[in-house]
This record gives sequence, C-alpha cells and structure tokens, in this order.
Amino acid sequence: MAAAPETIARVAAPPHQGLWSKAFHKFCRDRAGLVGLWVVVLYAIVALGVWLGLWASDWAEVTGPKWGPVSAEHWFGTNLIGQDIFARALYSTRTAFELGLVVAVLSTFVGAVLGAFAGFFSGGWIDELVLWFMGVIDSIPFYLLVAAIAFSLGDSPYAMYIAMIATFWVGTSRLVRGEVIKLKELEFVEAAHAIGLSEVAIIFRHILPNTFHILLVQATITFVAAIKSEVILSFLGIGIQDGMSWGLMIAESTIEVLAGFFNNFIAASLLMFGLVMAFNMFSDALQDALDPRSVR
Amino acid sequence: MLEVRDLAVEFDTEHGRVRAVNNVSFSVNAGEVVGLVGESGCGKTVTGLSLLGLVPSPPGKVVHGEILLDGDDLLKLDEAGMRRIRGSEVSMIFQEPMTALNPVLTVGYQMTEVLRLHKSLSQQQARHAAIDMLGIVGIPAPSKRIDEYPHEMSGGMRQRVMIAMALSCGPKLLIADEPTTALDVTTQAQVLDEIVRLQHQFEMAVILITHDLGVVAQTCQRALVMYCGQLVEAAPINSLFASPLHPYTQGLIGSIPRIREHKIERLPVIEGMVPDIAALPDGCHFADRCNRVQADCHERSPVLTPSADAGAVACWHPLEPQHD
Repeated sequence: MAAAPETIARVAAPPHQGLWSKAFHKFCRDRAGLVGLWVVVLYAIVALGVWLGLWASDWAEVTGPKWGPVSAEHWFGTNLIGQDIFARALYSTRTAFELGLVVAVLSTFVGAVLGAFAGFFSGGWIDELVLWFMGVIDSIPFYLLVAAIAFSLGDSPYAMYIAMIATFWVGTSRLVRGEVIKLKELEFVEAAHAIGLSEVAIIFRHILPNTFHILLVQATITFVAAIKSEVILSFLGIGIQDGMSWGLMIAESTIEVLAGFFNNFIAASLLMFGLVMAFNMFSDALQDALDPRSVR
Repeated sequence: MLEVRDLAVEFDTEHGRVRAVNNVSFSVNAGEVVGLVGESGCGKTVTGLSLLGLVPSPPGKVVHGEILLDGDDLLKLDEAGMRRIRGSEVSMIFQEPMTALNPVLTVGYQMTEVLRLHKSLSQQQARHAAIDMLGIVGIPAPSKRIDEYPHEMSGGMRQRVMIAMALSCGPKLLIADEPTTALDVTTQAQVLDEIVRLQHQFEMAVILITHDLGVVAQTCQRALVMYCGQLVEAAPINSLFASPLHPYTQGLIGSIPRIREHKIERLPVIEGMVPDIAALPDGCHFADRCNRVQADCHERSPVLTPSADAGAVACWHPLEPQHD
C-alpha cells in the first residue's frame, strides 16, 4: 500500500531538470557558442596569469631595440622605445577583463534594481523618476559624458568606469522594466502578496529571479561594449590613464603607422577582435539557450 | 468568525467610477464551507480579494464597510498588520495553478518562505514542515518532489502545492478562488475532495468562489449568490437547490445541464445580457431579465431580507418556498 505512490512517482516524474540545466544542455549543442566560450576562457586565463604576475610582468621595460621585427624573443616585435609588444598586448587583456567585468557587473546590477522598481511601480513616482534619469542619460552624447566626468574627477583613473556604468545601465534597465511590467501581472505575484510578503521582498525574491536570463545576456553585451568603448576612449586620451590597454596601443601606433610599422596596431586589433568576436558568439548562444520561448 | 458588513468596493475606469461590490454583507462560521457563486464579473473575486486587502489599488478602493475577523476589523489594519494576517490567519488559493507558482523557484523554496515568514522556524524545521504538508495534501514522495520546479508537475499537483502552501500556517479561513476551474474534470473532483477533507482536518472555514453550481452542491453547506456586485440570495445548499427564492438563482439552477433526466431540445437560458456595471439600471439590477418582473422592480432596489429556512433573498417578488 505504501509502496504504490512511490512507484507512480518514479514512472511519472521526468528526469529532474531545472531551468538552468535545461539551458546548459541547449547551450552545449550550439557549436559556435561553445567555440566562443572556449576562446573567452582562454583570454580569461591569460588575464588571470597577468594578474597573478605569471607573465607579461615586464610589459613596461625596455627589452629590445627600437621597432624590432617579429622574432623568437619578441613574438610581435618591439615598439618605438623597445618594449615588447606581445607582453603589452597580453597585459592589455587583463585591463580589458578588469574593465569589462566591473562595468558589466555593476551596470547590470544598477540596471536590474532600478528597472525592477520602475516596472513594479509603473506609473508611480519611482517609475517617473527612473524614466527621467534614463531620458537624461540617453540625451547626453556618451563621449562628452566621459570627458565631463573625467574633468570633474580631476583625471581620475575611475572616470571611465563611472561614465560607463552611468551610461550602460540604461539599456538593461529598460529591458528589465518592460519584463517586470509583464511579470507583475502574473498570478504568482498576487500569490506572493497573499502569503504576506512585502513589496520589496516580492521584487527581489520573486520578480528579479525571473529576469536572470535577461540580466545574463545583458551583462555579456555590456562586457563587449565596455571593451570596445575603452579602445576609442583611450585612443582619444580620456580612457585608461595608467597601465596599458589595446586602446593605448592603437593610440601609440598612430605615429608608427605613418613610418610603416604596423605591429602595435595589428597586435592590439587582432586580440581585441578575437575577444569581442568570441564574446559575441558566446552571448548569442546564451541568448538562444535562455530564451524561454524557443523550444528545446 | 468572519463577518462582512456593508462592504463596497469601487474601481476607477475609463467609463468613470464603477462599483464592483455593492453593500455586501455576509458571515462565515468557523468550520463552514460557503460557496460564493455568480457569473464572470459579478464581483465575487473582488469580494474575495478585499477580505485579504488585495484589491489592486489604484484603480480599486474599498469605499466603506467592515470586515470583522474574530471581531477585529481588517480594513482598519495598516499594510504591515495586514501582511501578518495574509498567509497565516487567512489564506488564498488561485484559479491558475500553472501561473500561481513562481516558475524559477523550487516548490520547497516557495513553501518554506511562507512558513518562515509567519512562524519562527529554522530552514531545516521549515523544510520538514513543508514536506509533511505536501504529504498531507496527497503528493507522493514529498521529500523528492519538494526540490522540483513547478514546470515538472502537473496542474493538479501544482494546485495541491498551492493548497499545501495556503494551509501550512493553519489559517482560520481559506479563500479558494475558482480552485478547480483550470483543471480537468477528474482532477477537479480529487482537488475538491482534498479541500473538503483538509477543511475537516484543520477545522477551518472555506469560502469557495466559483461559477460552477455543481461544485457548490458537492462541497458547500451554504451558498451566497451574487449578481452585478450585489448579494441576491443566501441560503443553505439543500433549500437553495430544492427551492430557490430569487428568480436569478432559479435561472442559474435551471440552466445546469442534466444528462440523466429526460432529453430536452434546448438548455434553458436566462434571457438578456448582464447589464454594464458602469451603467446599472435603477431599481433591481436583474429586473430587465426577470420573468417575475413588476412595475415596482424598476423603481426601488430590493434589500437582502431574511426568509424562511435560514436563508435571505433580495427580491420584491420572490418565488414561493416549496416544501416536499
């Protein structure tokens, strides 16, 4: 008698599979996405190695002749004052990851929280305020905003970080707001009210977890956007202030290209292209895997 | 135990202010199952929601009335006070078991959340209590299924989870808003039986909101019939079905298909349309569709007056009580 329900359960229950493990299996079937992921992981290992001081720690030292050619010792040659371009390109990977991760995590967090509150209280004053902020930030040209923040912070190395976070949350926030407006009408939100949860608890514990698929994809998109923007900002001289980055390398190469020396330019462009491309492939596959509307 | 007096709820709409619940008064005794019956849009769900202070505001607003739970007026409580009532003293289960559970959280998370909110339990204790509760509502292998996500369960199973959640803190009153409408017929019967069994076991009162008179006949001791935001008849089940007093109730009962009785050409219907509640006619709202209508029906609104058989009816010309 007691065994009967057990047997039924075993037959009826499908293999235990959460939403995330389902998405994971789907992702694993996407070949381009997997290639992208492995390339990103490779870059991440390089960045981690630099951070731990395993390699490229001599990026700032003069180790060879001026404009040295590609050789076994200097894989990408040396620059104007004899620094190893390969070491500088590797070191820049760390800069890119630092920037990408910090900006992606913080701007996604800000965007998620503000978007969720705006969406949950849509039509109310919180929504109006957040929308007003979004409108204001959207109306300021990005590069002007970075320059303004950089000047006001007295050339702080964080100026670019702050400017990017202050700008990039808007896109995420708009998406989250729209999703939350849709979610809050569903019955599980009413049910959460009916068990006595407060509104803040409902937003953080019941609604935001339902937007994680959007947040994850948005974070990867922001990561790429941050890296690409860094290159342009550093090139313009309002980006990375100390250290080395692909943008600074390209800025450096402007004099060299005129003299017919392309190593700096090619090294920085190739490495950046590889990472951005791989991240985009990864991000596309992630989006497909997490899209609740697509079937298996 | 629960006493609702003169409850009125209004909504702001494009067509102006609409009264969804109009001066409704009723009471529910401890351990009693009361059916709240009516067509779509007659105000039965809004009545249920207002008992928990969950009328969406804006656009909704409780205009006046009292909701006394063991003598305390719930309408006078602030939001924090109301939150302590919800889920512990008064619980609610909803129509759509498919969407009433959060799809990205496990059943266990959602169940322990209620328990920990209202009782000071540790994570472990709450988990054990949740597993016990899932067992009580008839979910096989509860200690396994507690870690599943809602999408891994069938509709009937999810409704059982909802019931388990609603009952886990031992409420005095359960409001069940069309709990079986979204389920197929066999599951419907099982879930209803379960609700009745648990109602006995937990000695709680149940307000069963439904448009299905069959469900009412099967489970309730007393029924309240609503029409256009007003209570038109309240009566014990036996006398309601044997001898309805309000012409509307009679019409509702008459339009239930009866497959075992003699063959009929057409199912009887109540003629006409439900009036737009933004532009209700004067007098009795049912007058335009009523087969017993007389001139005074259009002039004065009937009020709910007690009748024989412990019932009450809001009609100027009610049907004669029949005794068999």
